[in-house]
Amino acid sequence: MLVQDIMTKKVVAIDPEMPIVDVNKLMEQRNIRHFPILMNSQLVGIVSDRDIRVVGSEHPRAQKGVTLKDSVKKIMRSPVLTTHPLDPIEEAAKVLREHKIGAMPVLDGDELVGIVTGIDFLEAMVKMTGVYGATTRLEVEVDNRPGGLASVLDSIAKKKVNVSSVMTTRSDPDAVHFVLRVNTIDGRGLAGELRKEGFEILWPTEKP
Amino acid sequence: MDYAFVYDPALSQYELSDSHPFKPVRLELTKSLLTATGLLEDKHTVQPYPINETQLLRIHQKDYVDAVKAVSKNANFEDAYSYGLGTSDNPIFPNMHEAIMRVCSATTTAVHLVASGKAQRAVNLSGGLHHAHADKASGFCVYNDLAVAIDHAVKKFKLRVAYVDIDAHHGDGVQWLFYDRNDVVTISLHESGRYLFPGTGHTYEIGKDAGRGYSVNMPLEPFSEDVSYLEAFEAVVPLALRKFKPDLIVLQAGADMHRYDPLADLALSVQGMSKSYQRMSELADELCDGRLVATGGGGYDPFRTVPRAWGQLWAAVTRQELPKDIPAAWRKQWERQSPVELPETFADDVTLWKAIPRHNEIESHNRAVVKRLVNTLGSTWGDQ
Repeated sequence: MLVQDIMTKKVVAIDPEMPIVDVNKLMEQRNIRHFPILMNSQLVGIVSDRDIRVVGSEHPRAQKGVTLKDSVKKIMRSPVLTTHPLDPIEEAAKVLREHKIGAMPVLDGDELVGIVTGIDFLEAMVKMTGVYGATTRLEVEVDNRPGGLASVLDSIAKKKVNVSSVMTTRSDPDAVHFVLRVNTIDGRGLAGELRKEGFEILWPTEKP
Repeated sequence: MDYAFVYDPALSQYELSDSHPFKPVRLELTKSLLTATGLLEDKHTVQPYPINETQLLRIHQKDYVDAVKAVSKNANFEDAYSYGLGTSDNPIFPNMHEAIMRVCSATTTAVHLVASGKAQRAVNLSGGLHHAHADKASGFCVYNDLAVAIDHAVKKFKLRVAYVDIDAHHGDGVQWLFYDRNDVVTISLHESGRYLFPGTGHTYEIGKDAGRGYSVNMPLEPFSEDVSYLEAFEAVVPLALRKFKPDLIVLQAGADMHRYDPLADLALSVQGMSKSYQRMSELADELCDGRLVATGGGGYDPFRTVPRAWGQLWAAVTRQELPKDIPAAWRKQWERQSPVELPETFADDVTLWKAIPRHNEIESHNRAVVKRLVNTLGSTWGDQ
């Protein structure tokens, strides 16, 4: 999955001269927490709801003398960390996490084409782990070597069962743990047959 | 007639394949058991009357029905797979269209008898194919007999129908077919979709548009037992039914939440399941002059478990009591065909069962989910 698959494409950008009080109103009206700031179509900064909340307060991060009447350029952050529409989402997620920021504008060259926030990544995660079509959970552990997963999938295919999603939940040097969603109601039957063929099935477990 | 048992030997022709876990022999097993106990008499039996294709097409897409008809005649139909046909769950068998139409007819007959006042209650154990979608076969279910029958009650009799699904699997097909409607409420108790097919049935699936607040889902932990199951049932089902005030209750009574079921992971006893049937009977009396239709559904331990469970279902629906012991003649009749030893009593001796590890965690997890669901429903209903 790429940044362009999860980003918000209709970006609301603002002018550096906009008074902070108006930025605040716009955030409330549009239910948006981050605004990229453009000057002559160039990205010059970003402002978040947190930057605005401390204006005029005793908060250690509040700038002395800045009031809500001042223009937003006084509190905007720059330079801005950005990402590219073709970056893999895990790269972008790492940047957000390492810098502890909530959003990144997406630039294609100099052009602002989108924005990604932490919520977009949560959405992506829900989609990745989500259930599409009626399926059963099957957890397998396979040797960490070429063909480890392939042999399980091959055996499942021979039973005319489709695999609609594959996830890796953890791995150690010798084994890899996969969660598959398979389109059969008889997950126990399938697990039983796979066990007989020597595969390590973690779910469904045997009944006590 | 107070009670109707909709039955035709031809209903057993919904047999997906010889080796398939869905075993129509369950019908014959249950019927013969009930006859042996004296609880089922000839006066109860009603032949299903056929429905027409227009009724089927109010629920299923025409291209899908055409596909089912095509594969019924010729197993080499090209697009079968995209309709969920010809998979390990839904293999193609000759005349399958006719066989499933018969099941739809039987469930619609049961609903018709009750909705028209000809019977107060009716049972069709061949019905309960709750996974079938508008355009797709799924989980052993080709046409959704429940949705066709419920639609009949709504359209012809203008009834408000409460659908209660206690099969171990989420009643996804019926839920999605009525998801945006407020004349039908769907209530499903099932093993959590995180572990079991079909993967849906989370507490946040509450319906959409006009149907918001009219879908109720109570997912349970694998290996839930009688006490925890019935506690969740009691916290959710009466609450939702009393809120909705139905004219008719349709109960999908799949029997696969039993400890012996080889497909699902719940761990109920027959007596635990029986309590939920009793409660459904009482709730029908409380809310809709007793009007109740019950169908079968899942249940993959056909000899040892399903006949006892559905025996209890019929007893609850007809306000009768079963004897303690299984009639010896019935055991003799079936013992040679049964791959396992047939039980001597209707109740399970649960003292023989090994304790479930994590029993307390399972119970407290279910309690937390009940709380979350009741809160969600409360705030959804409060908004309306």
